[in-house]
Amino acid sequence: MKVQGTAVDKNLTKKANGFSKFLKSLKTQKQLWLLSIPIIIWVVIFAYYPMYGILMAFVDYIPGKEIFQCDFVGLKYFKQFITNPSIWTLLRNTFAMSGLSLTFGFFTPIIFALMLNEIGRAKARKFIQTVSYLPHFISWIVAGSMVYLMLSSDGILNNLLISFGVSDTSVPFLTKGEYYWTIYTIVNIWKSMGWSSIIYLSAMSGVDEELYQAGAIDGLGRLGMVRHITLPSIAPTIVLLWILGIGNILSAGFDYHLIIGNDATRPYWDVIDTYSYRYGVQQGFYSMGTAVSLMKSVIGFLFVCITNYISKKLTDTSIF
Amino acid sequence: MRRVSYIKRTTSGTVFDIFNVAFMIVLTVTMIYPFINIFAISLNEGTDAVRGGIYLWPRKFTLSNYEYVFSNSSLLRGAMVSVLRVVVGIATGVLGNALLGYIVSCRTFYGRKFMRVLFLITMYFSGGLIPTYLLMVRLGFMNTFQVYWIPSIFSAFYMLLTSSYIQNLPESLFEAARIDGCSELKILFKIVLPLCIPMLACIAVYIGVDQWNSWFDVSLYSKDGKWDNLQIILYRLLNQATALQKMMEKQRAAAAMKTLQPLTVRAATTIVVTLPIIFIYPFFQKYFVSGITIGSVKG
Repeated sequence: MKVQGTAVDKNLTKKANGFSKFLKSLKTQKQLWLLSIPIIIWVVIFAYYPMYGILMAFVDYIPGKEIFQCDFVGLKYFKQFITNPSIWTLLRNTFAMSGLSLTFGFFTPIIFALMLNEIGRAKARKFIQTVSYLPHFISWIVAGSMVYLMLSSDGILNNLLISFGVSDTSVPFLTKGEYYWTIYTIVNIWKSMGWSSIIYLSAMSGVDEELYQAGAIDGLGRLGMVRHITLPSIAPTIVLLWILGIGNILSAGFDYHLIIGNDATRPYWDVIDTYSYRYGVQQGFYSMGTAVSLMKSVIGFLFVCITNYISKKLTDTSIF
Repeated sequence: MRRVSYIKRTTSGTVFDIFNVAFMIVLTVTMIYPFINIFAISLNEGTDAVRGGIYLWPRKFTLSNYEYVFSNSSLLRGAMVSVLRVVVGIATGVLGNALLGYIVSCRTFYGRKFMRVLFLITMYFSGGLIPTYLLMVRLGFMNTFQVYWIPSIFSAFYMLLTSSYIQNLPESLFEAARIDGCSELKILFKIVLPLCIPMLACIAVYIGVDQWNSWFDVSLYSKDGKWDNLQIILYRLLNQATALQKMMEKQRAAAAMKTLQPLTVRAATTIVVTLPIIFIYPFFQKYFVSGITIGSVKG
């Protein structure tokens, strides 16, 4: 009893101390607090108020009304989305395209980094690296414009195909859905490969040179060095990025589909994000759209937790 | 070569080297070729370019596509909006994040931790597209310019960059200034900002590229087209062939513009949109990389 009492007392005085310190700081650090106030107001309006807005997924939201004034409908919109027949197309497209990015899109930067690391001249390495992440900095619109230019019916690729006799007529790359996933994956790799490889290259440059010397003495060839020294040293980075990548498994691109996708290819590009945008923003079903994107983030988070757990058990690497 | 002194030269190694170099050359060409091709087309005469077959250089050289782009009033206005976005975005973003970084790294400040956590939470949770969109509608930000910069003044990610940099400055600098009766804002402007120029340049480049490249928020918030930027105009040129035809009909009447074609105008606009990025690229690429490495260290 007595011990408990003192503990409570201590807590109380601590709290009181903290509070009085806070009050005192209002006076002595008036300027810093004054500078903080507009920032706090900004973050509440532009970051926390939209979080509160997520609650509209659970009500029949009518624009102009407060969320708590609207009728509470519980999980109605979630059910509506799950039982919607078009969900299968959405899921198929989402998983197909994010699956392609998580495999091809994920491993090409690693292979590129490993190969670039084997280039002898430092200047050449630097140059290739610099060029490789140029596409990262151009907008999706410009990238889309290039795709149009290259792949349209009178574009370069078709020109080449016809003049080399591979095909007699021009191939409708942009209007035939079957090609959509492949083109999306290639453009995605083109745009992001160099940039994603930076993190691996910086991990590789941190490897102790003595390890390679020791490896050479022990008779490792170049391939052996890559396998036994370089790869293990970037393995934790690979696992971490993989876990983070899993969190995006339900995000299979957005800008690209709005730019390159058209009505003819929609059965192949309509993903959860574009669906939520189309219904939520363009057609004004705000509650529905919010419910869809909320569900998406929750599931993405669960995916991260599961992968994280598995990787913790198997490889001892985890993000939390 | 890095490990040349102790690696044995083998035939398979040499074969690999040759293959590797060839692969890297092909890769570099793939990265650059679309830019070259689009540039060649933009310098070609429209009616001739439609026939195809332009790969590396223009067949019938002309500048009329660029003349058209620079004489078109809506494209010019779009360029102005784009530049304004970049300038205002960089000015407010750099100042805002420097201030925020200073506040959360000021060791004696009582509210330091509170502010830091307040922003860190926003890194992991966000309202998402629709609540943000409705907020902008509600604030009356539709069809205004401020929707481009006010919602992006502060950012948790840039706060981490600035605060980790400011924390490495000696605290005694600030203390001495405070003892001398310097106000906090003056410390920010006279001490923090000048000392942080390399890091602020990095943030400025990031913000600038972001602002220049963004198009989705324009398509959401610029409904009446008054604040359309270059990107969104290019988007319309791509997706709505009729928009381009309509835009070009007027100028086409003029004799010099008779050969204009959507294809070449599109290419010229694309080059105009890309050129600023390519120009700043060699100068700022070290900042791009330093940004991503600081970010990855901070997690």
